[in-house]
Amino acid sequence: MKYSTVLLTTSLPAIFVFAPLAAAQPQSLTVAWYGGNWGDAFQSCVATPFTEATGIAVVPDIGTSTTTLSKLQQQAGAPVIDVAYMDGGISELAEEAGVLADIDIESIPNAANLADAATYRNGDKVYAVGNGYYSLGMTYNTDEISEAPASWDALWDEHYAGAVTIPSPSNSAGIPFIFFLNQIMGDTPDDMSATIERLRELDAALFFDSSGAASNAFQSGEVILGAHFNVGAWALIDSGLPIGFTVPEEGVWATDARLHIVEGTQNGDAALQFIDTALGAEAGLCLAERLYVGPAVTNVDLTEEVSRKLPWGETGSIDDLMLFDWNEVNARRSDLTETWNREVVR
Amino acid sequence: MTASRSVILGLVALPLVYFTAFFLVPLMTVFVASLTDAQQGGMTFSNYARILLDEYHWSVIAVTFRLGILTTLICIVLGYPLAWYLVRIVKWRTWRRICVILLVLPLFTSNIVRSFGWMVLLGRNGLVNETLQAGGLIERPIRFLGTETGILIGLVYILLPFVVLTIGNALAKVDHSLEQASADLGASSASTFWHVTFPLSIPGVVSGSIIVFALAVSAYVTPALLSGGRVTVLAVLVFQQYSSVFNFHYGGALAITLLVFTLLMIAIASLVSRLGAR
Repeated sequence: MKYSTVLLTTSLPAIFVFAPLAAAQPQSLTVAWYGGNWGDAFQSCVATPFTEATGIAVVPDIGTSTTTLSKLQQQAGAPVIDVAYMDGGISELAEEAGVLADIDIESIPNAANLADAATYRNGDKVYAVGNGYYSLGMTYNTDEISEAPASWDALWDEHYAGAVTIPSPSNSAGIPFIFFLNQIMGDTPDDMSATIERLRELDAALFFDSSGAASNAFQSGEVILGAHFNVGAWALIDSGLPIGFTVPEEGVWATDARLHIVEGTQNGDAALQFIDTALGAEAGLCLAERLYVGPAVTNVDLTEEVSRKLPWGETGSIDDLMLFDWNEVNARRSDLTETWNREVVR
Repeated sequence: MTASRSVILGLVALPLVYFTAFFLVPLMTVFVASLTDAQQGGMTFSNYARILLDEYHWSVIAVTFRLGILTTLICIVLGYPLAWYLVRIVKWRTWRRICVILLVLPLFTSNIVRSFGWMVLLGRNGLVNETLQAGGLIERPIRFLGTETGILIGLVYILLPFVVLTIGNALAKVDHSLEQASADLGASSASTFWHVTFPLSIPGVVSGSIIVFALAVSAYVTPALLSGGRVTVLAVLVFQQYSSVFNFHYGGALAITLLVFTLLMIAIASLVSRLGAR
């Protein structure tokens, strides 16, 4: 890693020459976020109001959290991205990789309403703030399955054999989902062999590596039951497809989309202003209405219809979510990916 | 003379700088990372040992190259007659142009979109299975997605135009007087084809094959989408290491292994075709 970074930084002076010089008032702020309906929502709920208020244009850099982290690592020392949205888990990896700046939380007025659980610290440093929770729940085709499955065991029901889906380790939810299954099956994280054995028995149509692939499989009927994000599932339901989303009795695993300021950015003040806009009640409401992500700020008034679709349901709160210690999950990322390749896929 | 030399130098310098900055430097970065120890940072061959001394990786390499070879063979078998039709049969120039446009048109759309299209076509309730079931050919839907067959169908569709264009180009360059001479000397049209036309078109077949093979073994999007995460090829392993595990050393070694094996296969194929031409 060190070698590659050195080589890259020494070989890029040609590009530096063309880089615009840092100005006091930036013309634009580059923000990395996800594609599809997520990106659209960030654009209209956060970026557009931010530009209207400050006159600073937002240049989106679209990619999944993992792709964004790869970019940040490759750009270390001379970042193009100023602010990055990344999911829980990848956020911890980014902090470990040293690509995140300290967020001066005191200078963000709207951070006063931020839930404690959504302020992520490494010692005294705040490296991330939450901008909305989402869950990986049970999603099913209502034409084929009339009653919402009560348990995650339904994935192994022979009626649905060959037509189920769960995330692959290439998806940011893949490894945590194995932890989740392991936990609800009563195994300890030290010995996941029983869970791996059950995953081996799973007759899946698809191990999805992107949320879009899962949505596509549900839409085409290739998959009739499986784990899918509440955001993607509700988007399908809202478009009139025969899809249902439910929280089985064992619960659902959840995580959040977080905001980060990139270490070495020349646009630190604008980045803080962007985060302030994102943590505002208007942005929280807008994101909840568009993506059904649970707000990480406490001052958002939601309608019943939207509340019903949030990861914690109508009456719940952040406290009801099954959130994992990401450092524990990340420590197992490599060996679980390897085990998955060798034992589950084969 | 001097002026023209400096013009040539100027013309060569730009692509050379581009090639160095955007191909050689990233490739060297990957290569250096692949020889670096993830923990200690020193030079090591352990990343390669991890791949080459492990049966699992050899099985992935086998799947990758099996798909590459089959894709290339099918593309040639399908592409040659198609190129023949375009160059030799079609007389009306406008129709030929329309055919060429139809052939290259899919190249203007993203691989992702086309692969998603195949996901819909090859699915359990997709057009292919529905047609086969309606025709009474099968009782239950055949599983295409998540199998090597599904990936093969997608790769052949995406890479076929490259073979048709290179073979078509070679066929168009074949001197008709040689074929006429062969016919005048009493050879049948089949004999003329096998002994005159086909050998002359081999450069097109070889270059088309190299393009298709190299693109097929390094393809990520099509195998990733059509395998549904159930078939692993080298490119998928590389992506996994870079995008999810963040081990650029092992991922780099996987990428270099893929590159070396691809170059080896191409070298062997060129050698065989050269020996065959003698």
